[in-house]
Order: sequence, then C-alpha cells, then structure tokens
Amino acid sequence: MYKITLYGILLLMTACARLDHVQISDIDQSQGSLKPISVKVSEFAIELAVIADVGSRLATNHNTQNSLKEIRDILALMNMGPRTGNPVFNDNYAENVLEQLYVQCPSGKITGLRSTREATTYGAVSGEIVRLNAFCII
Amino acid sequence: MSRFLIALVTLMTLSGCVSLNSVSLTQVPNDRNNLISSTAHDWLFLGFTSQNDFVEEAVNGLKDQCKGGKLTGILTKHQTTAYVLVFKREIIASGYCNKA
Repeated sequence: MYKITLYGILLLMTACARLDHVQISDIDQSQGSLKPISVKVSEFAIELAVIADVGSRLATNHNTQNSLKEIRDILALMNMGPRTGNPVFNDNYAENVLEQLYVQCPSGKITGLRSTREATTYGAVSGEIVRLNAFCII
Repeated sequence: MSRFLIALVTLMTLSGCVSLNSVSLTQVPNDRNNLISSTAHDWLFLGFTSQNDFVEEAVNGLKDQCKGGKLTGILTKHQTTAYVLVFKREIIASGYCNKA
C-alpha cells in the first residue's frame, strides 16, 4: 500500500507540459483590428506498457510479476515505431477544430493562425492536445 | 584531479546539444526587403514545466514589428538545447513585413 501511495504521489508530481510542434502562419494587420481566438482539443492517452511495468514491480507474487512483464513486452512491441506522444483511442478528436475556430470569428477573416501540438503528461497518462490560436479580423 | 573535474563539468555545461523539434514555412512574397525576426524561450530544469505560453511571445514580437502591415513567408523553428540537467526551449520565427 505504501508503494502504491508513493507511486501515485510521484505520478501526480510529474505532471508536465510537452511541446511537440509549433507552426505560425501569415499575420495580416492591414485589414483591421485583431481579436485573439483559440480552440483547444484534448484526448486522453495512456502508455499501457508503462502501467504493466509498474504493475509488475508492485506485484508480490512471482508468477504475476512474470505475466505482467510479458504483457508489458507485448504492449511495447505493439506500439513501437515513430509517434508523437502516447497512443490515443480516438484518432478523430482534432477533426472539427477549424469549425470551432470559425464559430468564434463571425467575420470569417482569420489570420495569424498558430497550430500547436502539445500535451500534459502525468507519468504514463497524458492529455494529447491540439491547440489553434489565431486572430479574427474585426 | 579536481581541476580536471572542474574542466570536465564546465565543458559539459557549455556544450549544449541542439535538437530541432519542428520547422514550418508559409508562402514567401515577391517583396523580400523587410525581414523581421522574433525569438522566445524558456528554461526547464530536468525537463519539468507546466506551460507552453512562451510561444505567444514570439508571435507578439513579430506582430509588434509589423504594425498595420502584412507578414508573410514566416519561418518557424522550434528547437531544444540540452545542457546538463537543464533544457532551453526556443521558438525562432522570422518573416517579411510588407506595408502597402
């Protein structure tokens, strides 16, 4: 129990922001004043191999330890390869960001679009974030 | 021995290794006379941080240098320099300002 509490506190303390990609588009300040607008979508993600690894370390039974290590290895092999952040279970979570941005800009004139791929991580768990900041020409 | 250790630690601290996280470029204009640039950075100890707000500093820097104009051909670089236990994250943005 002490170990679980310790791991829990450690995971919560390691909440961290991650920045993967930044793109800034053209900024037009010649057509009027600019109002900042923003859309952020986040999807829950989990690194199951790390969870299995922690489980194997916490398990007291030798057989359970070995089983969890095997599960860890299988999960790690399943998710190997190039990627950005932890795997998510829904890969469509960022599809409607443009529509959401236009809702905030009735004039429809958007400039200075910044596309950011980032995340907030809590150990093996993370919120995989897509953020669009922009200016609405009013 | 201690002199060697100090020299080694100094060398390790000064020799930051840079990794380029992302690069992007927008449409480049014909008129490329007025190049402006802006940078923003933050420092992390052991990689821990709770925010990515420094990105907006670079954008505001570009905006302030091209008031009333159109900024195009924006090259954005996002890079990280790793020192010993300390990381510097940087956004380096440049573009061409055209005021009609």
